[in-house]
Amino acid sequence: MPLGTLDRSPPPFFKQGQSALSKLLMFSALALFLMVADTRFKITGPIRVAVASALYPLQWLVMQPIEMVRGGEQYFISLGVAQQAEQDAKRRLALQSQRAAIVEQLTLENDRLRKLLALRESTTTPAQAAQVVYDAADPFTRRVLVDKGSAQGIKAGSPVLDESGVLGQVTRVYPLSSEVTLLIDRDHTIPVLNTRTGARSVVYGDPSVHGGTLELRFMAGNADVQQGDILTTSGVDGVYPPGMPVARVDKVERRADSAFAKIICQPLANTLGARHVMILEPFSVQIPLPAPIDTALSAIKKGAKK
Amino acid sequence: MIMRSGQQLLLPANPLFIWGSLLVALMFNILMSTLMGRAAWPPDVLALALVFWVIHQPLRVGVGTAFVFGLCMDVHQGALLGQHALAYTALSFFAITISRRLLWYSIPSQALQIFPLLFGAHVLQLLVRMLAGHSFPGWDFVLSPFIEAVLWPVVTLILLAPQMRAPDPDANRPL
Repeated sequence: MPLGTLDRSPPPFFKQGQSALSKLLMFSALALFLMVADTRFKITGPIRVAVASALYPLQWLVMQPIEMVRGGEQYFISLGVAQQAEQDAKRRLALQSQRAAIVEQLTLENDRLRKLLALRESTTTPAQAAQVVYDAADPFTRRVLVDKGSAQGIKAGSPVLDESGVLGQVTRVYPLSSEVTLLIDRDHTIPVLNTRTGARSVVYGDPSVHGGTLELRFMAGNADVQQGDILTTSGVDGVYPPGMPVARVDKVERRADSAFAKIICQPLANTLGARHVMILEPFSVQIPLPAPIDTALSAIKKGAKK
Repeated sequence: MIMRSGQQLLLPANPLFIWGSLLVALMFNILMSTLMGRAAWPPDVLALALVFWVIHQPLRVGVGTAFVFGLCMDVHQGALLGQHALAYTALSFFAITISRRLLWYSIPSQALQIFPLLFGAHVLQLLVRMLAGHSFPGWDFVLSPFIEAVLWPVVTLILLAPQMRAPDPDANRPL
């Protein structure tokens, strides 16, 4: 009972429940357990989904006025801006149409060549368009929330692209939304291929405070990497389909005191302001599993007998 | 009960208003995070509302409530599960321990005494995340407890308003 309140019931003298200290210990222990379960054992998914479902109506309610204001702003952009945007779009379309015309022919040619070489046919990836709702509020990581979830068939681990390159990967799926970890998150890595040299390597997110860049680590000091090289996904990870543009090499520092060069790359995707994204199916789902080792071994033995 | 002279006798708090205000504070946090993105400086209004009710109504709002609301914040932010829960739990415990003393002071002085608690809660979250191996959010997170402490008088005025009405409203005192 607080001081100076005109309460009609007397405060309980004996029925006080547990002391605040015991509650503090109990709930702190529970919170610590949850943290360990979240980081080490990854078993808190159901709790997250349950709480997220309970929170969804609140989030939806909060989003309504924001969506209205964002929608309303569209009415007030000037005619000039709209025409400029249309011009840009047309110019880009014209540039692309030239490439698109070649692609048809190249696809056919590639198909035949692959058959000729008896290579496995390259797969096409089913994709879904989604919209970025907001940046995840957690200041310790780089994530965004998109408006498609497990109800729309999104799976954890799916690669996410925007119009100019790979944006990141779906890391958590809720029923009606999912969380995308951006390329520039410090825990994010992506295997890439240098399109100029064909060298494969891995790009890491940048751990610095406000850095929106990527780092190409573990490249030898004399490795053939130049400023302006385009890095694309190599496809060896079985997550990202090969050939998606990822980053451009921005700065190469070759230092005498280190065996490795320090290579900073700029992501090609708009990691800070992407609005519309494509969520692809994870690549590994589409590749047939390799033959079991036993049969492969017996095949080798047969070959040896012959 | 001993009371300070000149202090107004308050009406009992409406439980619906308590829970409603906590929900509104949660929604305000969601709104801030939607508008500000991942900036670290926006104030945590939910923490402030929790501290207010823990201090003014320690029998109704306690450590358990703070834990549950902390869990909601964790899931909303996509943060480490238990990060806000731990911070709010500690925050409400220390708020309970100072609740008997704090209300004897003037409101600006209360804000000054609340500030270390809020600052501690933010530092606790930072420590937990650094231990979990996440990146440093930048120094603007230090601003957050300052803004919260400045907001304390505002929150007190808003949340105490229904209890400050006259017990017998008449034509001269409609509220």
